[in-house]
Amino acid sequence: MYPLLNSAPLSGGLFLGWTLGANDAANCFGAAVAGHVVRFRQAALLCALGIIFGAVLQGEQGICTLSGLTDQTVATAVIVTVAAGITGVLMTALGIPISTSQAVVGAILGVGLALGRRDFDGLVKVVLCWLGTPLGAMLIAMLAYFPTGWLIERMRISILTRDKLLLSGLIIVGLYGSYALGANNVTNSTGVFSGLLPGVTDRTLALAGGVAMALGVLTFSKRVMISVGGRITPLDAYSAFISVLAMSITVHIFAFLGAPVSTSQGIVGAVLGIGMVRGVQSIQGRMLWHILLGWLLTPLLALMLAATAMAIYHGR
Amino acid sequence: MFFISRQKKIESAIHLYCEKVALCLDRAVDAVGTWFGSNDRRELHQRMNKVHQAESQADNIRRDIEVMLYSKSIFPESRGDILGLLEALDKVPNQTETVVRMLYIQHIHIPEAYRPGIIELLEVARRCTTALIDATGKLFSNFPAVGAAVGKVDQLESDADVLENTLIESVFASEMDGFDKIMLRDVIHRLAHICDRAETAADRISIIIAKRKI
Repeated sequence: MYPLLNSAPLSGGLFLGWTLGANDAANCFGAAVAGHVVRFRQAALLCALGIIFGAVLQGEQGICTLSGLTDQTVATAVIVTVAAGITGVLMTALGIPISTSQAVVGAILGVGLALGRRDFDGLVKVVLCWLGTPLGAMLIAMLAYFPTGWLIERMRISILTRDKLLLSGLIIVGLYGSYALGANNVTNSTGVFSGLLPGVTDRTLALAGGVAMALGVLTFSKRVMISVGGRITPLDAYSAFISVLAMSITVHIFAFLGAPVSTSQGIVGAVLGIGMVRGVQSIQGRMLWHILLGWLLTPLLALMLAATAMAIYHGR
Repeated sequence: MFFISRQKKIESAIHLYCEKVALCLDRAVDAVGTWFGSNDRRELHQRMNKVHQAESQADNIRRDIEVMLYSKSIFPESRGDILGLLEALDKVPNQTETVVRMLYIQHIHIPEAYRPGIIELLEVARRCTTALIDATGKLFSNFPAVGAAVGKVDQLESDADVLENTLIESVFASEMDGFDKIMLRDVIHRLAHICDRAETAADRISIIIAKRKI
């Protein structure tokens, strides 16, 4: 009974993981589902498995980074996860692509400021990674677009084989993206609880966060998957393939670095990269504006919510 | 493996369908050529039935392919494209049969002077259809080479247009009866229409390529 009670505060993190899974699965499998390459149930199952494997096999590194940003107590960890969760819901309601990583880091910053802490050296690395995500995905997409296309264009195969190759590729990169999502983003879900709960190791936190994210995918991701996927797919199957591939590679690289980043910003960066190599006219100013707005508002809103919550908590 | 064998079945069926379309054109050229040589309507009737047979066989194969396409082994986008292409291809043998049937049923008299022109136009239609079949075949075997094959269809359709206009002009410049002129113009027009149908199908192929252009 005791371990269960000890883990009760984790429910905030699990909730955050659930919303994260529900939102971000679309970046991995949205294009395949919206393009009717794979049914939602199959995609959700593949995505959930990929996330759990990613979280368990590679998620611990990010948890170490996040726990090193500031010292947390159980109370502050709960405030961080709840503030980040509310930020996510509000930003989604405004239709702005959210980054749970930014929300969590913003909330940690808010708690730290409320407690009068000024040592945020680790944050510089994380903020640099935020900039690096869309830029990295953009660069990878730009570099991969023509050479891969050149190879495909020269394959003396049937149109049916070509379509099958490309659309199967979309499922494979979706699975890879799910793995990268789990490896990178599980930190956001349960990372702040690292070392706070007796008997709960980082590996257990990674598993719990991964399962929460997987549940989010299985229970609540269908609508987002179809709507976000619908926005990626009109590019064409090949561009969707390159977008998801570029996003997955970028997010996976940041998982190796232990820096939690946003798959949404990764996919937007990749789509922009493809727009640039295909002709700048396909880049939407509105899309750019949404990214900038997301960058600024997400951490700011989470910071304010967490700082306010801390002030209320201390004033009781 | 199941998917691969299913795909192979579809590709083989499309190949067979194309062979029947080509046979339909061959038989039409044979029917008209033989009729011009013998002036025997019974012979034209027999050969018209052979054209109909080929067209009918092509139709049956097309229906089988459509059923195969809906067996869920083909991605929806590919399925839609192939169905659209088959629909466009099907108009070529239909139009061919219509022309031969028209010659027989309407007792159309074609003066000696126009017969070589009619045969030439029918030959262009056959070559145009062969080029279309080649483009379709490449779509299912050597995707990157489709563009050049489609270009050949366009070229032959233009040749048919020129030939059609020349023939119609010479018909209306002649001393023929007005009614005969209109009947002959209709025959020429419908013959040239085989190439138009082939070009429409080739356009479909161009769209399929354009959609996948990287």
